[in-house]
Amino acid sequence: MASSQATVARAPALAGARRRRRKHGGLTPWLFALPALAVYTVFLVYPAFTSLYFSLTDWDGLSPNYHVVGLDNYRAMVSDPVVVRAAINNVIWTVVTIVVPVILGLTLALLLNGKARGKPILRMLFYTPGVLPLVSIASIWGWLYNPNYGAVNALLRDIGLDSLAQPWLGQNSTALAAVMVPAIWLRTGFPMLLYLAALQGIPHEQYEAATVDGATRSQRFWHITMPNLKPAHYIVIALSLIDSFKVFDLIYATTYGGPGTTTQVMGTWMYFNVFQYYHAGYGTAIAVVITIVAIAVSIPYVLSQTKEHDR
Amino acid sequence: MTDTPYTRRGFLGLAALAAAGAGLSACTGVSNDSSGGNSGGGSNKLRLFTYEDTSTIGKLKEQIAKFDQQNGTTTTVDDLPGSGAAVYPDKLRTELLGGSGPDVWRIWGGQIGAPYAKAKQAADLAPYYSKYGWDNRINKNAIDAMTFDGVRTGVPFFVAGVGVWYNKALFAQAKVTEPKSYAELEQLNDKLVAAGITPCGLGGKYGWDIMRLFEYLLEQSAGPELHDKLLSGAEGWDRPEVVTAFTNFKKWQDKKWLPQGALGLDPADVEPQYVQGKTAYTITGTWTEANAIGAAKKPSTDFGTFELPTDHTPTRHSGFVEGYMINARSGNKDKAAALIDFIMQPDTQKALGITGSTVAGAEPDKTTLPLSYQWTEINKTSTFYTIQDQAFPKQQADQYFSVQSDLLQGTVSPAAAAKKMQDIVSAWAKQK
Repeated sequence: MASSQATVARAPALAGARRRRRKHGGLTPWLFALPALAVYTVFLVYPAFTSLYFSLTDWDGLSPNYHVVGLDNYRAMVSDPVVVRAAINNVIWTVVTIVVPVILGLTLALLLNGKARGKPILRMLFYTPGVLPLVSIASIWGWLYNPNYGAVNALLRDIGLDSLAQPWLGQNSTALAAVMVPAIWLRTGFPMLLYLAALQGIPHEQYEAATVDGATRSQRFWHITMPNLKPAHYIVIALSLIDSFKVFDLIYATTYGGPGTTTQVMGTWMYFNVFQYYHAGYGTAIAVVITIVAIAVSIPYVLSQTKEHDR
Repeated sequence: MTDTPYTRRGFLGLAALAAAGAGLSACTGVSNDSSGGNSGGGSNKLRLFTYEDTSTIGKLKEQIAKFDQQNGTTTTVDDLPGSGAAVYPDKLRTELLGGSGPDVWRIWGGQIGAPYAKAKQAADLAPYYSKYGWDNRINKNAIDAMTFDGVRTGVPFFVAGVGVWYNKALFAQAKVTEPKSYAELEQLNDKLVAAGITPCGLGGKYGWDIMRLFEYLLEQSAGPELHDKLLSGAEGWDRPEVVTAFTNFKKWQDKKWLPQGALGLDPADVEPQYVQGKTAYTITGTWTEANAIGAAKKPSTDFGTFELPTDHTPTRHSGFVEGYMINARSGNKDKAAALIDFIMQPDTQKALGITGSTVAGAEPDKTTLPLSYQWTEINKTSTFYTIQDQAFPKQQADQYFSVQSDLLQGTVSPAAAAKKMQDIVSAWAKQK
C-alpha cells in the first residue's frame, strides 16, 4: 500500500523529468557535442585559463620556476608608456582602418552595381589584395616606401613634388599612417563584396516607385539604398572592428613596431614581452586585457545577431 | 526558432567564448613535459635547428649527411634563413617550450644565448669539453663568450669581427683610400658624397644594423676601457664621451653619410648594396664575402675590407660569437655532442666555408675567401668588444635602439640621449 502511494506520488515527478528530457533532448545532444567540447576544452579553455594564471606570475617564459605576483603585471601596465602608446595606436588603427575601407568599399560596390563594363574583372581586382599573405603585402609596401628606390617617392619626384618625398616608414610622424595605407588597400575588398551582395538584394520596384514619385538620385540613395544596407553595415563594421583590434602581422613585418616604439600596438607589444624580453607573465597580462576588450567590443554584435535570428 | 533548446544566442555566446579562448591560448607556451628534445633516448634521430643563409645551408646539409653516414644517425636540419637575432630566438624558444625543441641549435653568444643557459634549457657541456678536448682546439675568448655564470653551455664555432667592407670601384671613383684615423674616415665620407655616392649602407629596421655605427663611434670617443665599463654598467652613460658619440652619430645622418631614411630600411636590403654599387661600403662581418659578394657571383678582388680606425691603442673592433647548444632535455645528448664535434673538425669547418672559424687550423682559404682571411690576420693583432645587441638583454637593446631612433629624428638631443641611456643601463644594472 505504502509502496503504491509512493509510486503515485512519484509519478508526476517522473513525468516532469521525462518532459524536461524530451524538451532538452536528454544526454544525446551532449554526446554529439562531446568530441568538439573535448577539443575545445583541451586546446582553448585549458590554455586560456593557464594564460590567465600566468598573467598573475613573474614567469620569464623559459625557466621552470616562477612566483605568483598577484595583480602586479596589471598594475605595471598602467605605468608602461609603451602600453599607453600601443593602446592609442590601436584606437587610431581601428577607427581609420574601419571608416576608410567601409566608405571605399561602399563606393566601389555602388559603382560596380551599375552597368559598369568588365565588372567581374574589376571585382576580382579590388578583392585580390585581401587574399594575399600579410607578410607579402608588408614586403611589397616596404619596397614601395623605400626612400631611395621606392615607387612612392619616385612618383612624387616625377610629378615635381620632391619636397613630399619622405622616409615614410623611418620617421615617427609618418610611420603609423604609412602602415595603415596597405591595411586600407587590402581591407577594402571585403566590405565591397558584402555591400555588392546586399545591393543586389534590394528590390528594383522600390527604386522604380521612388523614381515615379520624383525622388532624386540622392534621395533614392539615402532613403532606399542606405536603409536596405543596414544589416550589411552591421556585419561589415562588427567584423572589421574585431579584425582591426587583432592587428599584429602587418605592423610586425613592416616596421617591427618602430621607429623606436612608435608603431607598437597591443598585439605586437604583447608579443615582444612574451617572446623577446622573457617577460611572459607581463606579456600574458597584456593578452588578457586585449581579450577582454575584444570580447567587450564583440558583445553588441553577438547580441544583435542573436536578436536577429531569435526573432 | 525559439522552440529549440539550443538557441542561436547560446551558440553565438559559445563562439564568443571560443574566440576569447583562442586569443588567450595564443600566448600560452609553458610545458611541464620533462621529456623534451626531438629524439628519444637511445634513438638514432637528431634534429638541428639553425639560421644558415640559403647560400650556405646546402654545405651544412652535405656535412651532416656525411656525419649520419659515419654514425648511422638520421639528422633533420631545420633552417630559418635571413631572420637574424630579432626573430630566430623566438622560434627556438617556442619550440623548446612546446616540448619538441631541437637536440642541437645554433645561437649567438652574449645576452642572446644567455637566457637559454639561465633557464637551464641548454645542457652543461663540461663533460663533452673534457671528452673531445674542445678547450685545446677552440679559441678561448670565444668559449668565454658562450660561458654563462661559469657554465659552458655553448660550443662556439664562429667568431665575427665587424668592420668596413667596401666597393673598390666606388672608392676609386671618389678618389679615396682606406682611412687611418676617424678624421680621415669623415673626409672619405665627404668625398664620397661630393662624388654623388652614398657612403655607408646601414638600415635601422630592427635597430641592430645601424647600431654597428654607433658602437664604433662610442669606442672611438670613449676608448676601450671606458667603453667596456659602459657596456657592463660599471660607468654612467651621462658623460661627455657618450654625448660626443651621439653627436657624431647624428652628424653621419645629417651629412648624408647614411642612406636617406636609413631608420626605416631593412638591413637585408641595404647591406648588400655595396656589392651592387649603390653604396660605397657597409659595416659588417666576414659572412658578407660568401653571402653578398659570393652570392652576386662577383670576385672578391673587386672589394676591400678594413678595421674601422678608432685612434686608440689597442685598436679594437666590434665582434661576437656564434655556436651550438645542446638541449638539456634531449634524450640523445651524446650523439648531439658527437655531431657538434664533427662540425668542429677543421676539415668540416673548411668544407662549410666558415669565414671566421674558432677552430685552430680552420682559417678561411686565402684563395677562395681572401677578404675573410684578411680578418684572420686582423684578429691576430686586434681584439674585439662585445657587439652591443649581445652586450645588453633584448629589452634594454630595444630601448637603446629607440634612443638611437629618437636622436636621428632630432626628437632628443645628444645630451638627452646620453641621459636616457644612463636610465636604461642603470635600471638594467639594478636588475642584474
